[in-house]
Amino acid sequence: MAVASRPPALRRTRPGSKTGDLPRKIGASSIMWLLVVVYAVPALWFVMSSFKPAGDLFSYPLTFYPKHPTVAGYTQAWTQFDFASYFLNTLIVATAATLLTIVVSAATGYALAKYSNWWLKAFAVCILATTMLPSETILAPLFLVVRNLGLYNNLAGIVVPAVITATGTFMFRQFFVTVPNDLLEAARIDGSGELSTFVRIMLPLARPIIMTLAIFSFQWRWNDYLWPLIILNDPKQFTLQIGVASIVGAQNVNWSILLGASVLSMVPLVAIYLIFQKYVMNADLNAGLKD
Amino acid sequence: MVDSVRQPAAEPRSVPADGEEVRAKPRLWPRKRHNRYTGAPLLMISVNLLLFLLFFIWPAAIGLGYSFTSYTGVGSAPFVGLDNYQRLLNDPAFYSAMLRTVIYTGSIVPLSFVTSLGIAYLLVSPYTRGKPVARVVFFFPWLISPIIAGVIWRWLFGENFGLVNYIITELGGKAVPWQSNANLSLIVVIIAATWAGTAFNMLLFVAALKNVPISYYEAADLDGANAWQKFRRITLPAIAPTSFIVVLLSTLHTMKEYGLIVALNAGGPGTANNLIVQYIYTTGFKRAQIGYASAASFVLLLILMIIAFVQLMFNRRKGS
Amino acid sequence: MANSATGRMRASRWRWLAAGVVATLALSACGSGSDDSKDVKSITFWYSTSAQDQGYTELAKEFQAKEGISVEIVNVPYDGYQDKLRQAAQANSLPDTASVPSLDTIWINQLQDLSSISNNDANKINKDLITVQDGKTLTIPSDVTAAGLFINKSLFDKAKVSYPTDPSKTWTWDEFLASADKVRTATKAKYDLVYDNSPARIRAWIYTHGGKGFQLGADNKFATPDATTVEALSSFAKMNNDVTMPKSVWTSGADPNALFKSGQVVAYYSGVWQVADFADGITNFDWVAAPTPAQPVHATDINLGGKVVAFNNGDKAAAAKKWVDFIFQKDNYTKLAQTNGYLPIESGLTLTYPFKKQAALDAFALYNKEIELADPISSSGQASGTKLLLAGKSSIQDDPTKAEMAKLINGEQDVQKTVDNIVNGLNQQIG
Repeated sequence: MAVASRPPALRRTRPGSKTGDLPRKIGASSIMWLLVVVYAVPALWFVMSSFKPAGDLFSYPLTFYPKHPTVAGYTQAWTQFDFASYFLNTLIVATAATLLTIVVSAATGYALAKYSNWWLKAFAVCILATTMLPSETILAPLFLVVRNLGLYNNLAGIVVPAVITATGTFMFRQFFVTVPNDLLEAARIDGSGELSTFVRIMLPLARPIIMTLAIFSFQWRWNDYLWPLIILNDPKQFTLQIGVASIVGAQNVNWSILLGASVLSMVPLVAIYLIFQKYVMNADLNAGLKD
Repeated sequence: MVDSVRQPAAEPRSVPADGEEVRAKPRLWPRKRHNRYTGAPLLMISVNLLLFLLFFIWPAAIGLGYSFTSYTGVGSAPFVGLDNYQRLLNDPAFYSAMLRTVIYTGSIVPLSFVTSLGIAYLLVSPYTRGKPVARVVFFFPWLISPIIAGVIWRWLFGENFGLVNYIITELGGKAVPWQSNANLSLIVVIIAATWAGTAFNMLLFVAALKNVPISYYEAADLDGANAWQKFRRITLPAIAPTSFIVVLLSTLHTMKEYGLIVALNAGGPGTANNLIVQYIYTTGFKRAQIGYASAASFVLLLILMIIAFVQLMFNRRKGS
Repeated sequence: MANSATGRMRASRWRWLAAGVVATLALSACGSGSDDSKDVKSITFWYSTSAQDQGYTELAKEFQAKEGISVEIVNVPYDGYQDKLRQAAQANSLPDTASVPSLDTIWINQLQDLSSISNNDANKINKDLITVQDGKTLTIPSDVTAAGLFINKSLFDKAKVSYPTDPSKTWTWDEFLASADKVRTATKAKYDLVYDNSPARIRAWIYTHGGKGFQLGADNKFATPDATTVEALSSFAKMNNDVTMPKSVWTSGADPNALFKSGQVVAYYSGVWQVADFADGITNFDWVAAPTPAQPVHATDINLGGKVVAFNNGDKAAAAKKWVDFIFQKDNYTKLAQTNGYLPIESGLTLTYPFKKQAALDAFALYNKEIELADPISSSGQASGTKLLLAGKSSIQDDPTKAEMAKLINGEQDVQKTVDNIVNGLNQQIG
C-alpha cells in the first residue's frame, strides 16, 4: 500500500458543504439507494414470507406483505425442533473456532510478513494451496482422518479442521507487511523477545483485522452444513444448519416452518454483525502507521 | 503475494546490536541469529503447520492414493494406475462441467469486481447520505448461508410462483422459464452469487479506498481532472494490490462453487448446470466412484494452481 | 528470555491459547459421553421426515414406561441420510435402531435378525415385504406406500365434470386427461396435472400403460426395457408442455406439492403419504383421492416406507431388539399407523385415523382397495433394490432417471438415448 502523505483519518471529515455539491450528493445518494433497494428486496421478501401462513405462500395473487400475518412458522419451528440446543452448539463451535483461528492466523501471518526464511515462503504457498482442494472433494479422506484422530461425533471434529484458513492468514500477512519494520527493530533494541513483541505490540495494532476475521470466521462456521452433517451423530450436538435441513422432508417441504426456521437461524449472526460492524466497517485495514 | 515496501533493515544481521540478549553458552558457530529468527517464526507457524499436515496433506495424500484405484467406499481398493485420469480426460460430462464452471467464473468475477468496487466507492464517498443503513443492507446477503440464499433466489425466480414472473405476467408479458432453461438458470445463479458475495470484496475495497492519499486527489483537482479521470488515473492504480487479491480470491472461490448453485437449481435443469465441484461430489459420494472422483479433484487442484500462478505472474509483471 | 514484563505478557498470550485449547478439549469431552457400559438405559433410533415424529415419540414414551429404557429419536435430514449411515458404519458409530430408506451393503452384516418378530403370528406381518437373507430377517418396513392420484374437487365441481370414485371402475389416462382439460379450460386453472419428480413415481406411469419398466435380468444387471415402456416415457415427456403439465417440475425440481396446494392445478399424481399433509395443509379448496387411471393395466407403484432395522451394537443389541419388537406388537403398531397415517404392513388391524377430514379417511380406504387391485408388477420396482442387495451388489444411490428425463423433456436428446443412458447409469453403479 502506498504510504499516505496525510493520515487517512482526515479523509473522513466531510468537505464543507458547498452548494455546488448538492447535485452530486443527490446523484450519488440516489444511485446508492437504488442499489440498497435492489439488495434489500430479496431478503425482505424472504422475511415477509416467513410471516405468511402456509396456504398463502402459494396462492395467487402473490403479495409482498402478508395478508394474514402469523408467527405460526416460528413457533412451530421453535417447539418442534430443539432450536435452543442447536443455537448453543452452533455458538460453541463458532466461538471456539473463531478464537483459535484468530490466534493461529495472526501468528502465521505475522511470521510470513516479518521473517524471510525460505521455508516460510514455501509455507505461504502451502497455505494458499489449502484453498484449492474444496472440502466437498476430499470428504471421504478427510472423514477417515478425523475418525482416526478420534474426533468423530464431536464438536471438536468441526472446530479443529476449520482453524486453518488461507484468507485469514493472508489478511494478517497483508496487514503486518504494512507495519514498518522500524517498530520491530525498536522493540528488539528494547530487549523484547520476538514472541512478546508480537503479542504486546503487533497484535493490538491488528485489531481491525482481528475484528474482520472474527466476523468472517463466525459466519463460516455458523453456515457450515455438509461437514457437521457427516461428523455429528448425536442430535444433542446438531448445529443449526442441520436442524434447518431436517425440516426438508423426503416427500414434501413444510415451507412455513422452513422459512421460520431459516430466519431464526440467521438472527444471531445478524445481531453479532450489528454489534461488531462499527469495528469492521470503519477499520483502516492497513493502518499500521504510528506517528 | 503482494509485497509492499520492505526496509532492508529487517534482514538478519550477523553482528548483534546493543542490548540484545546474549546466549549463556557460547556456540561453535554463529548460530545466534538463526536461533532468534528461526525459533520464533517456527513457533508462530507451528499450529498452522500441524493443522496443515493433519487436515490437508494427510487427506490429500489419501485422496491421491485413491485416485489411482477404483475404490468404491466399500471393500478393497484395487490399483488401476492412470486409468481414472484417462477416463476423466475422455469424459464429456467432466468437460461440460469444467466448461460450465469456466463460463460461470468468467461472468461472476468481472461483475462482482465492478459491483463491489462501485458500492465501496459509494460507501466512502462524502457525497452519499445514509451510509450506516446502507452498510447493513449490503452486508446482510453475505451473512446468510448459501443454502438459504439459494432458496431465496429460487423462489424469487420460480417459474410458477416466483415474484419476478408474477410481475412480468401482471405487466402483460409471458412467464420466463427461469428454471427450465439452462442459460437463464445460470444467469439467475450469477445474479444471486454476486448479491451474496458483494460484502466480502466490498470490505477489502473500502479499506483500500480509504488509504488512497487525499493529496493525490487534491493535486488532480488542481490540474482540472474530472471524477472519471481521477478514478482511472489515481484510484485504480492505488488500489491495485487489493484489486489483485479480490480477483484472485473471487476466481478461486467461484470455481469452487457448490452450495449456492445446488440450493438454487440443483445443478439443473437435468445436469446442464452441474459445476465441477458438484460433478466431483456426485460422482464420488452419490455414485460411489471415489477413485474417479479423487482423480477429478486433483485435476481441479492443478487447474486452480495454474490459475493462481498465472494471476500471480501477471501481477508481478504489472507491479514491476 | 523471561524478564517479568514479557513473562506476564507471554502468560496472557498463553491464556488466550489455553482458552481455545480448553474449549476444544471440553468439546471433545462433550462428544464421547455416550458410551455407558452399565445397565442399558437409552438407545437411539434414527429416522428422517419430521412428519412422522409424533407416532414414534409417543410410542417411545410408552416403551420407556414399560421397560425403563429411553429411546432417543433422532431426525436426520433426508438429503444425506444414506451417506450418514455409511459414514457412521465406517466410524463404528451406527445407531442402535433406525428406519432407513434402503439397506446398504456396507453395514448389512451388522443387522440383527428380526425373524422372531416377523414370524410372530400375532403380528400378521406381510411376509412378501420383509427382506430375508439366508433365513435371517434383515428388516421390516414400517409401512407400505402406494402411488396415486389426487384431484382438486372444487375445480371439478365448478366445471361440473364427473370423476370415478370406485377403483374397480377406474378411468383411463386418456379419459382422465380429457376431463382434466375440460376442467382446466372451464375454471381457468393453470395446469391439468403435476406429477412427482421421482423414479419411483414414473414407474406407476409405465406400469399402468402396460410396460415392464427397468427390470433386473437374471444376471443382476438392468436390461433394456421393452417398447411399451419406451413409448410410455415418450408420451410422458410430451405431456410436459407447460399446458398439460409444467416443465419446471421434471426439468428443474419445482415443488409439485406446493403447486397443487396453490389450487391452480387440477390434479396431482403422488402417493398416500400426502394424505396426512393434505388433511391439515389444504384449507382453501376441497380435494379427494381419485382412482389411479389404467391404460390398460391397473397398477401403481407399491413401495415401502422406512425400513426398520436393529443393529448389533454390543450391549445395546438386546434393548434395541426389544424396541423393534415393541413397535410391531399389534396394539402399538396400530397406534403408530394411526398417528403417522401409515398404510399398515400388518393385516387384520382396525385403524381409526385421527383425521377429521372425511376426504382423508376416504383416501385411506381407497388406497387399501387400490393395493388389493394392483397388478403384481407394482411392487417389482422396490424389489429390485432388495434383489441387488441380497446378491451382494452395491445399492443404487443416484438414480439417473431424473436427470435423463429432464434432458428428454428439454428436447436435448431422444427417448431411445434417454432409456439407454438410464440403463447404463444404473448398471454402472452395481459394479
